[in-house]
Amino acid sequence: MPWNRPLIIGMILLLLALGWLRTNSGETELVRSSRLLMGTIVEIVVSGQNTGQLEAAVDDAFAEMARLDRLLSRHYQDSDVTRVSQGSKGGKVAPETAEVVALGLDVARRSNGAFDMTLGRLKTLWGIDQENPVVPTQEAIAEALEGVGFRALSLEGLNLVKQSPQLMVDLGGIAKGYIVDRAVVVLKNHGITSGAVNAGGDMYLLGQHPEHPWRIGIQHPREQGGILATVQVRDKAVVTSGDYERFFEQDGQRYHHIFDPETGSPARGCQSVTVITDSVALGDALATALFVLGPQKGLELLADYPGSEGLIVAADGTLHPSQGWADYQSAP
Amino acid sequence: MKTPFQVMTGGDWLIVLTLLGVSVAGIAWLATAPKGTRVVVTSGDQTCFVADLDQPQSVDLDGPLGKTRLVIDETGAHVTSSPCPRKICISMGPARHSGDLLACVPNRIMVRIESPSGEDAPYDLLSR
Amino acid sequence: MTCSAANAENLARARRQVFLALFIALAVSLHILESLLPSPIPWLRLGLANIMTLSALYLYDGRAAWTVSMARVGLGSLLLGRLFSPGFWLALTGAIAATSVMILVHRICGRHLSPIGVSATGAAGHALGQILAARLLIIQHEAIWQIAPLFLFFTVFSGVLTGWLAVILLQRLEQHPAFQTSGVALDEQAGKD
Repeated sequence: MPWNRPLIIGMILLLLALGWLRTNSGETELVRSSRLLMGTIVEIVVSGQNTGQLEAAVDDAFAEMARLDRLLSRHYQDSDVTRVSQGSKGGKVAPETAEVVALGLDVARRSNGAFDMTLGRLKTLWGIDQENPVVPTQEAIAEALEGVGFRALSLEGLNLVKQSPQLMVDLGGIAKGYIVDRAVVVLKNHGITSGAVNAGGDMYLLGQHPEHPWRIGIQHPREQGGILATVQVRDKAVVTSGDYERFFEQDGQRYHHIFDPETGSPARGCQSVTVITDSVALGDALATALFVLGPQKGLELLADYPGSEGLIVAADGTLHPSQGWADYQSAP
Repeated sequence: MKTPFQVMTGGDWLIVLTLLGVSVAGIAWLATAPKGTRVVVTSGDQTCFVADLDQPQSVDLDGPLGKTRLVIDETGAHVTSSPCPRKICISMGPARHSGDLLACVPNRIMVRIESPSGEDAPYDLLSR
Repeated sequence: MTCSAANAENLARARRQVFLALFIALAVSLHILESLLPSPIPWLRLGLANIMTLSALYLYDGRAAWTVSMARVGLGSLLLGRLFSPGFWLALTGAIAATSVMILVHRICGRHLSPIGVSATGAAGHALGQILAARLLIIQHEAIWQIAPLFLFFTVFSGVLTGWLAVILLQRLEQHPAFQTSGVALDEQAGKD
């Protein structure tokens, strides 16, 4: 009796209209969202018809990335990486960790150690993430390099075995890429067919932008705000490693965060490396390996991976593209 | 015949004035909202600062570590000082194009350039 | 007015039907008259037809208000040749929003308000309902909401105007025996439903 029926019907119709408006505008929406994760800016772009679905997918993707970061980063006390580093023989790890390590070991082997996941002590010594990094002495470096190398680490099922007790695992050169791959899987599970996940320059492009293939600008290693090249890709990973991202300067010399396992110091062969391949984890590992190897040996390694292309900017600024790189480059 | 003012009750006035107030506030808000390309700063989930990219200014942004200073000038929006250890945010340079991102990760400040007309940059994402 | 149906209830119901039909006719006429007048902003009209909806609400009940407003939109669009055109959907959504809101406000705080307040609220609902429809059907862009504050501002005034005109009409009608014998006077209405 208090409410008359037409009133209720009228209100329900209005609410339905609003609800429908909220979820389905009938045209393609592009949702862009960024968060600070894994110590960098993570940006997710997704495109689709249903805003609700897009936002749910993005939230789940970020959640998965945060979860995996806690597992794989050496900056957390309870991560698999820290546990293994602190254990004397290694330890049991989650399947995801094992997956990353397996891939990393393969790249490490094929790059003859240029890509190395055992540099935890070295990185801690240099303190590249800390307040006041200083250049360590040669003795300190030598000590940190003891027992280091891809042979020092092996995987037996879900058991990560290390050859020497003081070995510290660091997955910094591959974990971010792996985490991006997993985020893309989450997006796909939500039915997303067009999107991108970009974690500080390590990215995967799913499908294509609503109007054109994804256009990726590659940062110029020496010009702030400048673009070295633009590539157009779909369903590919693009990873760039550069000496300009995290570095400190001492006595006029720049010391960045990509270490050469042989010298224990930052690799000097390149200014930046960009790799286009099928998974971001592989791209991440390859970019690191290429950076250490330098242009010549780097391109040789890349030739071993059909389907992967790269652009190496040597230390002197010259450009060294791989064979099929030009197929991707659209500018300049 | 009574005029409207003689007929209107207190409740009527409440409704009328509220509606007028809301609409005027809405008009004022729209008039002053940044148009064109804007600089959007977020800390965590909250948007803490929005401004026109065309209007030179500088602002101190609060984070857990202290104040990060953002300057907007003809080069774009860039960080000039920050309490973080590595000062990576400063070395990132200016953000200018729609979609450009800057951040001081330790101080949890993120800067984004947004353009209502859509994407005006020559690329969709930047690999650095 | 006497008739052969001696039953008071049937008499009242017959009267109601007749008057609602008259209200509808008046509402449609007002609607058409208004549409002939020029207006600076499209679809920004005084909403004079709302006077009849308000009268129906105050003299009878919410259902009567729905009857008058929906019939007015339907017949008005039919006669103007705009049935099922985009303008029709805008008018319909506006009318649904306005009528719902007016009935609600009348029900909840009718004691504290005169028809002017109810009308102002209805006018606001009408404006927002129209913009919502425009957003869904015509302009698929969030930018349409930017005209909302301006629209709202003007409709408050037209709402007050139509409310006042409704008050004048109601004062005249209440004095008519047709409404006194059925015992539905203005202030008794609030307690009826």
